Amino acid sequence: MVRATINGKVVEVEKGTTILDAANQVQVKIPTLCKHPDLISSAACGICIVKVKGSSKMLRACCTPLDNAMEIITHDPEIVSIRRTVLELILSKHPNDCLKCGRNNNCELQRLAADFGIREELFPKYLKDIPKDESTGSIVLEPPKCILCGRCVQVCQQMQDVWALSFLERGFDTRISPAGDIKLGDSPCVRCGQCSAHCPTGAIFEQDDTARVWEALQKPGNYCVVQIAPAVRVSIGEAFGFKPGENFTRRLYALLRRLGFAAVFDTNFGADVTIIEEASEFVERFKNPSPERPLPLITTCCPSWVDFMEKFHHDMIPHFSSCKSPHQILGVLSKTYYASKYNLDPARIVMVSIMPCTAKKYEITRTDEMFASGFQDIDIVLTTRELARMIKQAGVDFPALPDEDPDHILGDYTGAGVIFGATGGVMEAALRTACFYITGQKLDRLEFSETRGLKGVKESSIEIAGNRVGIAVAHGLSNVEYVLNQVREAVKAGRPVPYHFVEVMACPGGCVGGGGQPYGVTDERRSKMSRGLYEDDLNQPIRSSHENPQVQQLYREFLGEPRSEKSESLLHVHYKARPQYRK
Amino acid sequence: MKKWSKSDLDKIRASREPDRDWIKVGMSTCGIAAGAEAVFEYLRDEVARRGLPIEVKKCGCLGMCYAEPLVEVRAAGLPQVIYGQVNRELARLIVENHLVEKKLVSDHIYSFNREE
Amino acid sequence: MDKKYILVKDTRRAGSNQTEHFAGLLAAKIQASPAAEAVQVVRAADIGFYDQGLVLKFLPGGPVYLNVSEADLDRVVRETVVGGRVLEDLAAAGTARQLRVVLRNCGVINPENLEEYIRRDGYRALSRALFEYTPDKVIEEFKKSGLRGRGGAGYPTWLKWHLTRSVPGAEKYVICNADEGDPGAYMDRSILEGDPHSVLEGMIIAGYAIGANHGYFYIRAEYPLAIERIGKAIEQARERGLLGTGILGSDFNFEVDIRLGAGAFVCGEETALIASIEGKRGTPRPRPPYPSVSGLWGKPTSINNVETFANVPVVMTRGGDWFAGIGTEKSKGTKVFAVTGKVKNSGLVEVPMGVTLRQIVFDIGGGVRSGKKIKAVQTGGPSGGVIPEDRLDTPVDYENLQKLGSIMGSGGMIVMDEDDCMVDIAKFYLGFCVEESCGKCAPCRIGTYQLLKILERISEGEGRSEDLDRLRLIAQAMQKASLCGLGQTASNPVLSTLNYFETEYREHIQAKRCRSFKCRDLLTYSIIQSKCKRCRQCFLNCPVQAISGDREVGFYIQLDKCIKCGKCFEVCKFNAIARE
Repeated sequence: MVRATINGKVVEVEKGTTILDAANQVQVKIPTLCKHPDLISSAACGICIVKVKGSSKMLRACCTPLDNAMEIITHDPEIVSIRRTVLELILSKHPNDCLKCGRNNNCELQRLAADFGIREELFPKYLKDIPKDESTGSIVLEPPKCILCGRCVQVCQQMQDVWALSFLERGFDTRISPAGDIKLGDSPCVRCGQCSAHCPTGAIFEQDDTARVWEALQKPGNYCVVQIAPAVRVSIGEAFGFKPGENFTRRLYALLRRLGFAAVFDTNFGADVTIIEEASEFVERFKNPSPERPLPLITTCCPSWVDFMEKFHHDMIPHFSSCKSPHQILGVLSKTYYASKYNLDPARIVMVSIMPCTAKKYEITRTDEMFASGFQDIDIVLTTRELARMIKQAGVDFPALPDEDPDHILGDYTGAGVIFGATGGVMEAALRTACFYITGQKLDRLEFSETRGLKGVKESSIEIAGNRVGIAVAHGLSNVEYVLNQVREAVKAGRPVPYHFVEVMACPGGCVGGGGQPYGVTDERRSKMSRGLYEDDLNQPIRSSHENPQVQQLYREFLGEPRSEKSESLLHVHYKARPQYRK
Repeated sequence: MKKWSKSDLDKIRASREPDRDWIKVGMSTCGIAAGAEAVFEYLRDEVARRGLPIEVKKCGCLGMCYAEPLVEVRAAGLPQVIYGQVNRELARLIVENHLVEKKLVSDHIYSFNREE
Repeated sequence: MDKKYILVKDTRRAGSNQTEHFAGLLAAKIQASPAAEAVQVVRAADIGFYDQGLVLKFLPGGPVYLNVSEADLDRVVRETVVGGRVLEDLAAAGTARQLRVVLRNCGVINPENLEEYIRRDGYRALSRALFEYTPDKVIEEFKKSGLRGRGGAGYPTWLKWHLTRSVPGAEKYVICNADEGDPGAYMDRSILEGDPHSVLEGMIIAGYAIGANHGYFYIRAEYPLAIERIGKAIEQARERGLLGTGILGSDFNFEVDIRLGAGAFVCGEETALIASIEGKRGTPRPRPPYPSVSGLWGKPTSINNVETFANVPVVMTRGGDWFAGIGTEKSKGTKVFAVTGKVKNSGLVEVPMGVTLRQIVFDIGGGVRSGKKIKAVQTGGPSGGVIPEDRLDTPVDYENLQKLGSIMGSGGMIVMDEDDCMVDIAKFYLGFCVEESCGKCAPCRIGTYQLLKILERISEGEGRSEDLDRLRLIAQAMQKASLCGLGQTASNPVLSTLNYFETEYREHIQAKRCRSFKCRDLLTYSIIQSKCKRCRQCFLNCPVQAISGDREVGFYIQLDKCIKCGKCFEVCKFNAIARE
């Protein structure tokens, strides 16, 4: 422990605690533009400077550990004046685009400028006209708005191990760009959108597809349907001042009907179907592994992870579940099963997915298999942030809406489906059904706490009918390599593989921490949102996918058996290696 | 090659440096930029041609970069001096006057004021 | 009797050079003396004294006479030449002299010959350290010596080693920072080129002291000869067992590699340098942790400058106490400066700490080349500042230079005379910093650029009254809020010129006038008809045909066409071009 004073208040903290964090403990907020709780301080912005008695230098609070007997001053006229000058310097290289910026009202730079009462431009602006990069279709890079805090670069390189973004050029000309100044769409980028979720300004943001949705809703003859992903229901409230984790599922159904959707589905239903297919696949491999269908089985719900694997870990392709992600499954079912059941022309159906994710925008046209219905299975993907904007544009008083039910076909879900949104959720849901498939009995245990929590890699083993089932859950792509190497090394050494089942989600925390979620994600918020999902699970009368009566009905009426020829052709995909240079 | 021990170094230090006359040409970047290579080559060839008993060597920068190329001469019977801004013509004078006739060449000596 | 030689040089700054006259006179008097055959009178090109009248230097062995008058010559011949007695009233005293510690071998030995280095006491320090000293005792010796880092910041060398040594861990590194990048500074290059083994030996000793077995030379790629020579030195040392396992038969192992810098100034900053060696983008990172705790590959690392390492063998062979006997109270030893600019003798100068700037510039540097008045001396490169003429009597050490708003820096020293415009100088250094800012932190990245733009405006005659406040505001923010030393000091050239030469700034802004005639946009050229001889030189030489007229009506400069290049001013032999 170290003991020091901040603005005269005694503070006692663990050794290694930064001045910034220590100050929080004595109710002092030191402003910063580059520090993010997820990331190692890059010390780039120069806003968080503080004085320490006895030194003429100023220290950066974000990266300087508090030391014994330090007497820190965080605010005095000189410090504030310097912070202000630095802020004005940053503003001199930032366009005055606030009114037409995606981050208007939700921008860290704008907020700071407001706090400091900036009323005029002290320094002339020197802006560079660098064109937007919209090549990914998921996220947009707008370098002129970048303040070079370095968060996205650290996110992309360290947190996600993708190395798509880097700094290019030097000095005043420094900018963010994929290495070699290629388009982001041609880079290793897996569209996870974590860069956009961490960006303090409007330099990286999601491709805005709200206009296309409005248009689709207006167009006569269209039959617009919609689905919401698990993670969206516990995060949308944030846009309306509620705490993260608060569940808005049924108000979302009401809302979407108000917006004009003809039918409202829930991705959780698709998740339940995914589990039926994937658990079957797992049981098959578990009972009878082969070189073509080896263990461990690795989940593929996450499009960024699929992209990442095809680019950098394609030796693992045989391990991949061929099962589509829940919203793709729901998409293809809406234009086949649902259409025929209600005698609708699938050509008229417009399927919109509300996702916590930017990569889903890319997933919907990823391969020909995403057109399994004969049409584009999902027409448009909106992120949580876009939906929040649509709600506000529509003038709906969202928090005051009454609760409604989803459409009862493709809408009812189980507790297993909803936990898909948290890291470990797919694994847990699949285990519930796999246990049943292996033992033929309902388990007395439904919760697998081994899979829960925010630890980067969660390894464990579970006993099913006397068999040990090794599991590993990784989230945040930088945690993947460790898990895969465990498998590779075991195979190379001729040892039994350490895991039978592996879940990977690209974003830390899983989908609740997705790149399309409301800004300002931290581990604290990730856990709150996860908790919201686990509570939803607890509240569901049915908590295993195979017990979902509508899913059972779907198989009876349409698909037949799990992994039937029909489900293979509609719900499954193939992978191919698309190697790319990374670092 | 034989690895040296501490005593090998002592032996080298104790061994007498060959007491020969020499000419040193400053061949650091500053000297080379000012044309020291041509001067060095001329002196080396001219000394060889005339068969003079003096070694022509390279050395680093003496610090008087404004006077490069610098040529330091130690010839028996004459004080050790440094000639500055040496070109081919001056190098010829150094050989003829200093080395052969044993006279210092006027107008080209640069003398330091320093302690070692 | 051995022959004597007398070097003669008229060192007076003003008036015609009378060396030839005095040499002839002296030769004639000697010719008439009994010593006629035993003495050669030689005209020197440079005698090592400046502005000291007629100087006579007796070779070999002295003495040196200063301010010798014609009337003294008889005495000199009688007493000194014939009688061998020194005339005390003429003998040189009181002028600063160089002291060669770091440069002890530069220009003396063949840098590519290991044995020559060994004969000059080379690797004696290493032997002593390995066989007579424990690592802690080595560090103790450096504590005694008071040696401080020569890269600019002046951090005590022993303390850096001690801290690195104290961090637990088997894997540690020594790095030699040879990424010398200040405009005008080239001490490190010369040392590496002229005496590479001394730097290598210093590094091996540092490795022994801190417990490192691996060292890196980080040299900028623009120094090919230095790279070649240090490469050869490493090879020779390896062949002879001065590097490798069991050095000189001891149980100490040390290996060295060279890494080339790609020319980024910021890579001289230690954390950026480490990033560069690791193959990353060369940008600084926040400290702590300091490299002594977590440096190269996250291991404890000591980074020392070339000149620091070159001092190391001397401290070991001659002892810390001897070293501490040189210099001032807080700054020990000598410092090598690269004296350039308007000085007569540009080159490397090594003097004990505490010598004044005036002594360096005038006693050793020979004063201002043009004979004009000295305006200021710039030290510390782009991180330093200008020191005006009236402060030149300040003894040079780390603390004093800092008090004057400059820094010791790595040792660049640029002499400026009346022709140098302080706004222009500040603009030059800011331009350098804008080019060399790594772009990581906002205060430096944007601050340098905004400063430069304001300075450009001022020098173009577009300055505004509030500009000086703006300059100070940005400069202060950069000092306090920049991440690394480069950014924190990048505004020093602006602040120091502003501090000492605010009048010049105000003249530019208010009177639109540059007294040094450097800021082209503020100049106007015209032809003084009363002086013009109509020789047509200006007319013929003007590159843009801005001069019209003929011999009948005279010549005139068309101001709308004139690009203010100054060519007419240069070529006019009759001072008939007015420059305002």
